Parts: sequence; structure tokens; C-alpha cells
Amino acid sequence: MEGIRSSTRSRDLLRKIKEFTLSILEDLSEGLSPLIFIQSFRTYCTNLDSICSCRSNKPSGHEILTFQKESHVHRIDVLLRVLLIVQQLLQENKHASKRDIYYMHPLIFSDQSVVDRAINDICILLQCSRHNLNVVSVGNGLVMGWLRFFEAGRKFDCINSPNTAHTVPVLVEDVKDLVSAALYILVVEKESVFQRLENDKFCSKNRCIVITGRGYPDVPTRRFLRLLVDKLCLPVYCLVDCDPYGFDILATYRFGSMQMAYDAKFLRVPQIQWLGAFPSDSENYDLPKQCLLPLTIEGDTYSKDQWLPPAPS
Amino acid sequence: MDISSVQKLCIHLISSAVQRCRLSEGLCRLSVVLKSSPPIIRVSISDTGTGSCLEEFQDLKCNREGIGTEKWDGLLSIKTTSISDNKIYHYHLNLRGSVSARRLTRLPSIPKNDAKFSGTEVCLSISETIDALLKDIKHYFQKMLILKIPVSSTATLMPFICTQNDMVRNLYFNETFLKSVAAELVIERGDASGLRCENVFLPNECSPLNFSSSNVERLKSGLEEYVLKHRNSLNNKCDSCFCSREKLKISSGVASSMESHRSPGLIVEAVIAISELPESLCFRSSGNKTEVLHFKDFSPSSVSIASLNALTSIDWRSYGLTLVSAVDQVDHALIEWESLPPYLHIDMVIHCYHKQYPGKYKYQPDRHLIKKGVKLALDDLKEKHTGLLLSAHAVKICSYAPDLASSIAGIILSSNDLKFRSKCSTLLELSQSQAIGKQTVEDRIKEKIISVIETNDRKPEKIKEAAPFLFEDDRPQDLDPADLYLEEHAGGGNVFSFPD
Repeated sequence: MEGIRSSTRSRDLLRKIKEFTLSILEDLSEGLSPLIFIQSFRTYCTNLDSICSCRSNKPSGHEILTFQKESHVHRIDVLLRVLLIVQQLLQENKHASKRDIYYMHPLIFSDQSVVDRAINDICILLQCSRHNLNVVSVGNGLVMGWLRFFEAGRKFDCINSPNTAHTVPVLVEDVKDLVSAALYILVVEKESVFQRLENDKFCSKNRCIVITGRGYPDVPTRRFLRLLVDKLCLPVYCLVDCDPYGFDILATYRFGSMQMAYDAKFLRVPQIQWLGAFPSDSENYDLPKQCLLPLTIEGDTYSKDQWLPPAPS
Repeated sequence: MDISSVQKLCIHLISSAVQRCRLSEGLCRLSVVLKSSPPIIRVSISDTGTGSCLEEFQDLKCNREGIGTEKWDGLLSIKTTSISDNKIYHYHLNLRGSVSARRLTRLPSIPKNDAKFSGTEVCLSISETIDALLKDIKHYFQKMLILKIPVSSTATLMPFICTQNDMVRNLYFNETFLKSVAAELVIERGDASGLRCENVFLPNECSPLNFSSSNVERLKSGLEEYVLKHRNSLNNKCDSCFCSREKLKISSGVASSMESHRSPGLIVEAVIAISELPESLCFRSSGNKTEVLHFKDFSPSSVSIASLNALTSIDWRSYGLTLVSAVDQVDHALIEWESLPPYLHIDMVIHCYHKQYPGKYKYQPDRHLIKKGVKLALDDLKEKHTGLLLSAHAVKICSYAPDLASSIAGIILSSNDLKFRSKCSTLLELSQSQAIGKQTVEDRIKEKIISVIETNDRKPEKIKEAAPFLFEDDRPQDLDPADLYLEEHAGGGNVFSFPD
């Protein structure tokens, strides 16, 4: 069944880290350069000419990191440093954020994205999700509406005051006793929209749950949304701007992000439905021209880069 | 063969004598006697090699601009006999005029009375100073020492140096230049009392060779001694610079053309010596620029364009070197390096010859063959000496080794699984009993990582190429398609074979 992994318990991950380390040592003791296979994943389908049933769960290829190229060696260096931290987190059952890890060797990592990539590489190597590594990100998302649950003994009683925003729980595993009287889930792109709904007491009039990832949704928000959809089996709608960023955010909820494509099947919500202005609406409803905003150059190229299908290889 | 000066003529005649000794199978002796009676010097070059077929003299061309009639009348007196002859033939050959109009005058022969020997003596009288001649001859012999031309004999050599008027000349002839060709240089001056003193030097072989040694082994040994004696400017190896043999690393490469090649039978031997000299009293004028000595057909030769091209087209960066320039200095090419450590000195010699030499053939030096020979020598050096000639790329990769080792050691030592830790110790060949500190583990891993990087760097590009390329950008850039049809093998008996 989608969304279930075979072994992501700390003990299993620690075993995999040890196996990985041993394989490096074995190669080195035979005088060989270690070969680190990193599978690559993607969230889109490159099959252009037929109706494809692929679900992008399978790796689309792999990269091999060796000692031959400097860029590879740097990547291996960062990977091993992060792996050491992850091993300690798992052994001591502690949690750390990506940012915490970055600040352990800021000079060597040079950028948060370098750490993020290493974390992704480790997830692929150990076949697990990021939270399995005890690496968490601070929840950015907000939730309100007809919902009640416990997280680590703390009660989130949204039903009592459905128009009060709560932060999305970081550790989805710890969410217990989920209860809801909602009829649907509404995902909104922007925090401003969320606040507007809050001020308007939208949830008093509508039996729903409202969630926002405040722009691009982070992992906890998407995992929490996925949990709600799986547990409550409610229809879910997404309200985004009619611009390339809006489309991309919608796609991130629905298909997963490219960066964490390896984990997309645990994070995506394929049931999500597009709510909001479609590009065709401006013609269908004869919207006056002055209501439209011109696409900025940045947005235009972004849109093309993001939405043109990649050239078949 | 065009001769443009008296010095060059003498060198050419000495060189011919050396070749006759080289072809002889017995012990040979070569004498160069310069007899001075101002303003004339009588030059006699005699050898006990195979006799001469005279063609080598008849083909000589002297142009009037190079050698004026006031310097030399053009007359060569040649006495020669081969082992099967029963007399010694005597000729006069006048080299003035065109080749076709030359007259060979046959003088009365001298009977050998059943004695079995061979040899040649060439005499000429020129108007020149001894010093002008001596400089070039000395230089020639310094270079010839490198070839260590073999002749099968067990004789040792007793070279002579003669001085006169108590004025000790440069003792440039201190050692055998030909393993068993006894060579002497006699200078007699008629202007003074004629006091003659002879100095005899016993051979001082730094690395003895046996007679089955190949040409390239001889060249290697020759260059080694050349370097140990500061480019043959000393009589003995310089003990202050080379107190330990570790300071000199030497390797050779041989490239030969296949039958299908446009000039089959061509052989290029390259020898490279790298020496580490601390700052010492010994000062070498050329700094740490590299002199690339050139030989062709067992004689010192000028630098060919093909050779210069070969030297500039080598990917030196893959050996951690950056070439600034390679300049033709007539008898050697001078290479200037960028940021070569001042204590490091590189000497190089390139010898091109035909495997059937001497014979009737014409060939041009081949750029690809020279390049191949030099690269094989470089690869051989790299193979034999850990850490030597590491490419700039590998040096960069090596700089990651401490960090990689530290992380791996961290993963091992911070694991709470004792079984895992002991397994790692076994793989790292660390004894179980001793208390293993982080530093020990780290150092051992670092050692192994560096050794892997060095091994990777040593692999010739073509072997690396054999692995399938997963990504286009991994493909080596500098592939010379012309290299593929050359048959090649490295010195020291290592034979690489490559697919055609």
C-alpha cells in the first residue's frame, strides 16, 4: 500500500548506516574508490506520446558518486558529516532541524541547500523519509476549523474555537485521537487569505478545515494534510493564485516537490482539487482587462522553465 | 649531410667513429688527437670499430660560407680496414666541390701480415685554436656519456686526459662514455716545452650495467649519472646533493611505431629524472628549468619541430606540472615550468632511432611517438613513486581526505554497536587488543583514501576510459586519435597493450 515503508525504525536505519560505512571501508581496503549510488526520482512523466500509467514511484536513473570528481568528493564529504549527525540523533533519539545541522559546520556546508541535498541523499540511500532521520523542520503551516487532536499529550481543540489558527504539528507520528466534524478541507496558498478567512469567521459558517503552508508548503504541512486526508477521507480543495507560482504550489501539494521527489509518494495528495481562478476564466467571464496584472519577466520565464515538459532523453 | 663549421665537422667525424665502435662486437678504442703547431691543428680521429665503407665521408657536404678555404683545405686522409681485409686501405678525399665531382685518391695500401683487426683513422689539418675546438668536443662527450653505447666486451675503460705546461685542463674526460670503447683525447701543443702529462682515471660507475642491457636501460643509467654529476660537469657523483639515492627518481618509456605506421621501425626512448635537491652550495645555472637532451641514431642531435610540438602538447597538468614554454636551444629544448618548487629538478632525454640503424632509410621524427614515449616515462615514474607527479586534480581531491576520514571515523567510533566497531577495526587492519584512539582510526582511513586517489590518478587515461561512462562529462578531454595506432611499451619490461 502506498505510504507505508517496510523498515524505517531507528534500529533499521542505524543498521543501514553501519552497512553503508562497512561497504565504504571494504572498498577502501581493497584499494578501490567507493561507489555511492544515489537514485534519482522525478515527479513528472517524460512519456509524451501515450497515455501513461506511471506513478513516478520508481527511480528514473541513478548517479554514482566516486572519488574521481571534485564535486562528487565534496558531496560525499557533506553526506558523511550529516550521516554522522543523523546517526547520533537516531542513537540518542533526539531531533534536530535542518538549520541546526547547517550550523554545525556552516563554513564547510556554505549553504543550507547543501545540507538539504545531503539529507535528501541520505533519505534515498537509507530508503526513508526525512522525519525518519529525526531531522525535522519547524512547522510553518497553520490550521483552523472543525478538528481536534492530541500531539504529544497536548490537546489541539480547534472545534471549540474553529476560527483560531493553530500551528501545524511537526511530528505527525505523535498526532493521536484525530476527530473531525468537517465536510471538506480547504488549502489556501497565502497566509493573508487564511487570516482573511479567520477574520471573516469563515469556519463558523462552513463546516471545514482550513490549512495554509504560507506559500510553498513545508514537509510537516504536507504530511499533516496527507494524514488528514488519509484518516478523515474528506474532499480537499486548493485555492491558489492564477499565476505560475500558484500553479507550482498546487503541483507541490498534488504531486510533491522535485527536490524531494524520492519521497513524493509519502507527501503528495493526489486527491487535491484545483479551486480558484483558472486562466481561462478571464475569457469565460469576460473579466475586464484592467483586472488582470501583467506577468513579470521573472514570472514568465519561471513559468516556462517549470511547465515545459523536459526534452525526452 | 651539410657541415657548416670546423667544429661540426670534427664532431661529425667523431660521431661516425663512435658508430663504427658501436657496431663492432669487440673491445674498441677511440682516440681523438689534437696536435697543435700554430696556426695549424692536426686532428686525428682513430677507432678500432668496424671498418668504414667510405660512403659516410663521400656524402658530406661542406659549404664555403661555413668553412672557408683558409680554415680547411677540404682534404680528408682516411685509413681503414675491416676484419676480413688483409690490408689497410689508404685514401685521400677532397670534399671541396660538388658530391658528383669528388675524386677519391687511392694511396698505396699497408699489408696487415695476417693480423686480425679492424679500424679507421681519419686525419685532417685545420686552422683553428684548440680552445674553440675543445669546447664543442667536450660538450659532445658530455652528452655522449648519456648513451652508454654497448659493445660486448668485459673490458673496463681507461680514459686519458693530457695536460701540458702544468696547466691542468678541464678534466672532462674522466669516465667512460662508451661502456667498452676506450676513449682518449690527446692534446699536444707545439708552442711550449712539450711537457706532457697523462692522467688516467678509472671508471666510476654509479650503476653498473651488464652487456645484455637494452638501449633504454643504458640511456636510463646514463641520464642517472649525468644528473648525479650535475650534468656531467663533475668527475664523481655529487655527494652533498645526492647523499641518499631517494633523491633521484628515474623512469623510462619506449614507444615504437607499428608496421602500418607511415615510418615503421621507428623507436623513441624517453628517460625522465626527477631530483630533489635541497638548497646547497651546488648551484646549477639553469635554475629549475628542464633541459631536454636530444639524440638521434645514437648521436646528439638538434631539437626537431616534432619534438617541440610533442613537448608542448603533453597534458602536463595531469602530472601536476604547468608548462610555461618549451624553447629550442639548438642541442636541447629548454622547458620552463610554472611554480615548480625550487628544490625540484627535472631532466629529460629523448632518443629517436630506427630499429634497423644503420641502414638505408629516411624518416622524420614523429610527434605522436615522442609524446607517447615521454608520457610512458611520466606514467612509469608515477607508478613507481607514491605521490610523485600527482595531477593537480588529484592533489585537490586528496585535500578532502582528512575530512572524509574524520567523518567515517566518527561514524565508527560513535556507534554503540561493538560488533560493528570490531568489524571496522578488522577491515582497517587495526589490532583488536590495543585501545584504538580516534586519531589512529582516522589516520588509517586517510591513508587508504589517499592511496585510492593516487591509484586512480596513476591509471593511464585509456584504462580509465575502459570503464563505461555514465555521464558525458566524465569522458577525458585530451584523447589523441593518432595515439591509438602506435604500439607502445614502457621501460623496465612493462608492456601495455591497447586495442587497435
